[in-house]
Amino acid sequence: MSFESSCDETSVAVIKNGNEILSNIIATQIKSHQRFGGVVPEVASRHHVEEITTCINMALDEAKVGYEDLDAVAVTYGPGLVGSLLIGIMAAKTVAFAHDLPLIKVNHLAGHIYSANFVTDLKYPFMALLVSGGHTEIVSVTAPGVFHTLGDTRDDAVGEAYDKIGRILGINYPAGKKVDQMAAVGNDVFDFPRAMVQEDNLDFSFSGLKSAVINRVHHADQIHEDLNKDDVAASFQGAVLDILTNKTFRALKQHPVNQLIVAGGVSANQGLRKRLAEEIEKRNLDIELVFPPLRLCGDNAAMIGAMAQIQYDKGDFADLTVNADPSLDFDME
Amino acid sequence: MKILAFDTSNKPLSVAVVVDGKILAHIESTEKKTHSVSLLPDIKDTLKKSNLTINDIDLIAVAKGPGSYTGVRIAVTVAKTLADTLQKKLVGVSSLELLAADGDESHVLVPLMDARNDNAFAGVYIHKDGKLVNVLADQHTSMEKLFDTLKPYQESELEFVNATPRLQELIQNQYPNAKVIMSEDSLPDASKLAKLAETTKPVSDVDNFIPTYLRLTQAEHDWYAKGHKEDKNVSYVEEI
Ligand SMILES: [Zn+2]
Repeated sequence: MSFESSCDETSVAVIKNGNEILSNIIATQIKSHQRFGGVVPEVASRHHVEEITTCINMALDEAKVGYEDLDAVAVTYGPGLVGSLLIGIMAAKTVAFAHDLPLIKVNHLAGHIYSANFVTDLKYPFMALLVSGGHTEIVSVTAPGVFHTLGDTRDDAVGEAYDKIGRILGINYPAGKKVDQMAAVGNDVFDFPRAMVQEDNLDFSFSGLKSAVINRVHHADQIHEDLNKDDVAASFQGAVLDILTNKTFRALKQHPVNQLIVAGGVSANQGLRKRLAEEIEKRNLDIELVFPPLRLCGDNAAMIGAMAQIQYDKGDFADLTVNADPSLDFDME
Repeated sequence: MKILAFDTSNKPLSVAVVVDGKILAHIESTEKKTHSVSLLPDIKDTLKKSNLTINDIDLIAVAKGPGSYTGVRIAVTVAKTLADTLQKKLVGVSSLELLAADGDESHVLVPLMDARNDNAFAGVYIHKDGKLVNVLADQHTSMEKLFDTLKPYQESELEFVNATPRLQELIQNQYPNAKVIMSEDSLPDASKLAKLAETTKPVSDVDNFIPTYLRLTQAEHDWYAKGHKEDKNVSYVEEI
């Protein structure tokens, strides 16, 4: 049984052997946080407490298992919002204690990467592009559960940039899906900056792009120019995709592999899916491109169960003193 | 009846196992502990010292707030998950009532938690027929308003429990002769929580058991202040 509560989804799953979903209950708080235009941490924690036992019982019911059928309890311990993480952690520790089950603490980012385990057999080494509201990273996975961060964002996460652009275009939070749809019908006419694509490193930056878009829209407002919002979205997304693709293929050149996993909330982006597939074909690369199904792109407990299986096999168990680690990263473990 | 009781509403952490009114084991800590780290190991230790397992327990008693939001959530999450996963009875007791249980039986007890800017979480409790009775509901209030509410009582009857130095100063300006127990001398005691739980009605719907915060979040407060109204037809959390 796995728990995930790092942001605004309360999720409990029952996963068999790391690759079979018996249940994956997700209670999302999006409608609540939409009132405030983004996730409010104290509100998120309160909702998690309201939902937690309901999700546990639904997960057991849907999986048609009882506590006696479980072998271990796994939980996300970071990164994320501390108050949110703590609810899943306390509930998972309680279930492990009450039923005398081993406890496994899972890195949320590792979970996202291993959501691909429900789609395909992972072949090591592989590369992962992790794109979400909190993260933009290129990670090399050299063996089961062995991660090396090759590139990271220097400022905003890509999903965060989508939400901020969405706000100035008058789109309700979370904006990613809508901006993606608008981009599909608009044209890239504004030529926004592609930060750091010339630099020979694998890091990202989105704050310059974000400011350029915001300035352009404000300027148009001031001179009463009627901007085509679809074109703004297409120009923004065009720059984002150029940056992500440039760095990803730079990484693949340095570390050739046969699998590229794209995970995290932004991996649901249709423009990104299409672009990466085209680039692989254009470059004639023998790379299997893997996207998790849409339901597993956002935060969910199934992916935590997938990663937990690897730790279970290694005997990597935690005790009842596990605490939240809000700024956990791969290189800190 | 075998009761496991715990409180992490504020800085102190307290866990007790009480069987038929007798305290079998008791952990109380004033040192600064991280509740999220210590609570389950302390529950495990307390049971071990009592020579009981968690399965032997009949009832889980928890201080449900008000208090530190995070602290109260930690205890409530563990309590409701334990009660649910092992199908045990669950009782939530006001964290202020638990503080009042420390007071003198002959007094009108005013348990307090400093909520900054001369505000407090407070309630009024009296002892009647050997039971603690709530006579003014727990609330978030300015100290000034609290003093207004206390006007019907004689100064000599009043006993304030769990005051910080600032609250003590305010109390002494108003009631120079009232009894004041300072926070360092009024540690919540989980064995008293177990006793209070015996006479409190168990929670009927464990899934919907939540902490008593007594305050909206700032974001919700601001949202309502802008004239928004809660739409009863919209569920803010939904299963997808
Ligand atoms: Zn995530």
